[in-house]
Amino acid sequence: MDFLHPECPDRVADLPEPRTREELLRYGPTEAEAALRFQAEVVTAELAAQKEKWRGGFTRRRIVAGAGAVGVAALGSQLLTAKVAFGAPGDGNTLIVIMLRGGMDFLSVVVPRNDANYASARPTIAVPGTALLDAGPETRFGLHPAMAPLHELWKAGNMAAVAAVASPDASRSHFQAQDCYERGAASTAVRTGWMDRVLGKMGQGTTFRAIAEGSSLPRSLVGTSNKIVLRGIQDFRLDTADNLRDRSLEALRGLYTGFEHPMVAQAGATLEALTSARRVANMPANPAAQYPGGGLSDGLRDVARLIKAGVGLRMAALDLGGWDMHTNIGTVDGGDMRNTLGNLSQALGAFTVDIGPEALKKVTIVTMSEFGRRVEQNGNAGTDHGHGGGMLLIGGGLNGGRVHGRWPGLAPGARDHGDVAGANDYRDVLAEMLKIRFGVTDSAAIFPDHQAKRIGAYAGS
Amino acid sequence: MAAGRPALHRLMRNRRGALIAFGGGAVALTALSSTMAAFLDDGEPATADASGAQQTPQKAGSFANRDASYTVGVGDPNDLGAGGVAATPSAAAQAALAATPRFPTPLSRDPVLHLLRRTTFGPTPADVAEVKQIGIDAWIDRQLDPAAIPDPGGDQVNAMYPYLRLDIKQLRASVPDDKRDDPSRQLGRATIGRQIWTSRQLEEVMVDFWANHLNIQNPFDGGQDNRTDWDRTVIRKYALGKFSDMLLASARHPAMLRYLNNADSDKRSVNENYGRELLELHTVGIDGGYNETDVRNCAYVMTGRTVDRNGNFVFEPRRHWTGAVKVMGFSHPNKKAAEGLAVGDALVRYLATHPSTARYIARKLAVRFVCDNPPNPLVDRLAQAYLQNGTAIVPVLQLMFRSIEFWMATGLKTRRPLENMVATARVVGVKPGADTDKALESMYNSADRLGHAPLAWGPPDGYPDVAGAWQSAHGMLGAWNSHRAMVQGKVRGLSFTAPESLVGGNRNATVGSYVDAMAQRLVFQPLNPEQKVAVLKFLGLADTAKVTDPKLGGRVEHLAPLLLDSVYHGLR
Repeated sequence: MDFLHPECPDRVADLPEPRTREELLRYGPTEAEAALRFQAEVVTAELAAQKEKWRGGFTRRRIVAGAGAVGVAALGSQLLTAKVAFGAPGDGNTLIVIMLRGGMDFLSVVVPRNDANYASARPTIAVPGTALLDAGPETRFGLHPAMAPLHELWKAGNMAAVAAVASPDASRSHFQAQDCYERGAASTAVRTGWMDRVLGKMGQGTTFRAIAEGSSLPRSLVGTSNKIVLRGIQDFRLDTADNLRDRSLEALRGLYTGFEHPMVAQAGATLEALTSARRVANMPANPAAQYPGGGLSDGLRDVARLIKAGVGLRMAALDLGGWDMHTNIGTVDGGDMRNTLGNLSQALGAFTVDIGPEALKKVTIVTMSEFGRRVEQNGNAGTDHGHGGGMLLIGGGLNGGRVHGRWPGLAPGARDHGDVAGANDYRDVLAEMLKIRFGVTDSAAIFPDHQAKRIGAYAGS
Repeated sequence: MAAGRPALHRLMRNRRGALIAFGGGAVALTALSSTMAAFLDDGEPATADASGAQQTPQKAGSFANRDASYTVGVGDPNDLGAGGVAATPSAAAQAALAATPRFPTPLSRDPVLHLLRRTTFGPTPADVAEVKQIGIDAWIDRQLDPAAIPDPGGDQVNAMYPYLRLDIKQLRASVPDDKRDDPSRQLGRATIGRQIWTSRQLEEVMVDFWANHLNIQNPFDGGQDNRTDWDRTVIRKYALGKFSDMLLASARHPAMLRYLNNADSDKRSVNENYGRELLELHTVGIDGGYNETDVRNCAYVMTGRTVDRNGNFVFEPRRHWTGAVKVMGFSHPNKKAAEGLAVGDALVRYLATHPSTARYIARKLAVRFVCDNPPNPLVDRLAQAYLQNGTAIVPVLQLMFRSIEFWMATGLKTRRPLENMVATARVVGVKPGADTDKALESMYNSADRLGHAPLAWGPPDGYPDVAGAWQSAHGMLGAWNSHRAMVQGKVRGLSFTAPESLVGGNRNATVGSYVDAMAQRLVFQPLNPEQKVAVLKFLGLADTAKVTDPKLGGRVEHLAPLLLDSVYHGLR
């Protein structure tokens, strides 16, 4: 629950039922839509209080309360879990999935230019056109200035975006929507996560499969593929005194000598993994990479180390909270969006510098968020839960510098109950990415009951 | 639209229904666009079965279409080197010893050790002595009558966790609001404690088996007041009883009805989750011969079974779907809603006694007790016994122990992370101590980091029970580290045996014989020559050097875990 704004309705355990039309309309512009939203909040509120306690397998690392004069949403930016999976060394590309929890307001990130609907819906919080970063050939949109560290990537064609992205979940509930995104299917009968299914398709025979930092396993990785839980790569080691370590490892090697059994191979792989982990942990940082600090930076720095060590990193999943900006989203000069988006951008920018341009060609970074936010601002200079959001794509093989997919626009008739319509299914983006960048063509196995449509974000799609 | 309160009420009640239908996982409604999710008229929600009645369950998104390592194991399913049934377990063991295993392993073929590795959570010297004293046959009989076994270890664990004795009503009355996750926490820890310390080991193994077969994650959202009651009144109560009784109880328990959304299912908005898993996971299995229409009908039959405001089971006729139903070979006119509960029970009995169920459960038992890919003759034999004995489990187990295949399968199972930890605790002889609860919590967290916290598996299919699903560097490293933690007394709150006390002192012994004695004590067999050389090198001592200090100058606390790191402790 830590990525939620303190006043996010999802927090409230006991929602008072609206008794007048005016109270009802607080939830939406028409009665039907407001009722839908109110019910969403009632259902999720009932679940939320317990669900937070119960997310035993899926808890995020808790943020420390009372961090002083830091914006509430910015506290969430310290929230991180990093999940990493390794493939055979020397293999192709690396997938990095960053789940932005809380519902990122994509309209503030990839901002519509010269859009009267946008301007009138957000009289005080619209990002001014003059402040936007130039998106090159993409003239319909500009980038929020906090994304300055990524601007060169955009211009060089190593970054793109897809707007109006949604999942089949219509609840506007954090928990249900995140769960839907991560399991990669409309049906809750699907219990594994899509990333686990991808791991299955990528094949076995790897020393590491997936790492989770902290004590959590992300929903997207739930499944049969093996996972590692660590607090950083330096924790993957034999728990013995330093002066005994080498001798112990040698003894272990000896224990698995002189007979045949599958465990011999497994022991060999474990001992190799221990050696790799030490090498990775000792990998120096690139001084040119200016990480901004915080959980996401730590995670990306770890991932960069793994890539540079050449141990065959295939998949990493990180998350970053703090996007649930119900109040005081801020301006281009300061505030929650500036801080959080700035942190994300600086961390990603530093990461790309850290690994260098050659390695970047083999990396595919994808951001997702459980939903976008409402087109109209609310009464607190913020926005409430919406539907269509967006995805940022960074790395090699992109048709970069563009906003892809169908853009339905923000005219009132084009909206989905006042929200950006879900014109593009996030699974279409992922399926295309998996096919082109990772050779995973069986998208029906990854995303059951879904016909993937072409988005065109990746070259050769 | 009229703005008065009654209109608002009606509006919201329908939207809530819509939302539950969409958010709560009504499986029949697939791939909805966001615009469809908006308005539903009063009355029937969309019942168009998007999945198609003819679709096979394999395509509908079952658990079967996953990583094959989940179900596939090592070796040829048809031959372990010998098979058949003997008059008694000891006769079967003797027959097996006379035959040559098709898949030899490094583990000793001693039948006493093999029996203990499979029927307990890890052999101890005391167990070995007991079996040798009363004989294999009598020991098995004893374990199959757990109520007659005095159980000070299990009793001590029970005494630590009083919530586990309470029923739903008592829990709701006694658990404070801010501690509502405590009962489930207690259950997780108690499970580890019992696995380590109960004398009723075979019963506890069966409890673990059934808890995974009818898996309900602990904790789960909606289970605060009922998950522990489930463990006691459904799993433990029938673990050595009849599966049909267990299944009937499961179909009426709030934990199952909530966990698989049957509590939300009603005739206007049928939720197929429970109906599907009842077929796919609890009874006939994915290849049991059902199709999507059967799933739908099964869900219809189960409508009405829900949970009341006090958290107890209730059958609500007004929610029950009426009309003729057919699920595989079961059919019923199902005309009266008031009789819906009986129709459901009849279906459950039909499924529990179906030959596909017999085979499905027999195979799972064989995977647990024999090997990852059990021979078909053995599975068929066990399935027959299941049916002939009215789904009673004890006769099936008795037949399994009289089967030569069981005794041919020495060392063919790999210890999963929690199994390894518990076997370590047992063989090293840790006992409850100054803060056992804290120690169990710490063990629980260690198991959780290895992905094997007891009862914590999320999906309803239970933890995988084959080696392929658990192969990981992380798991192996975790086991190695847990050996050090347990031997070196790092799990605070327990009473430890000092490692130097594990073997009797013999001041004239050589280092070589000391190592042999320690290996015998911890893994019940000697090391091979290469392994012994490696261990002596680690110790930095010569084979023939005299032992003057049982601590070997501080080395013994590193020697013991190293022996446990070997293949002999990693297999069972």
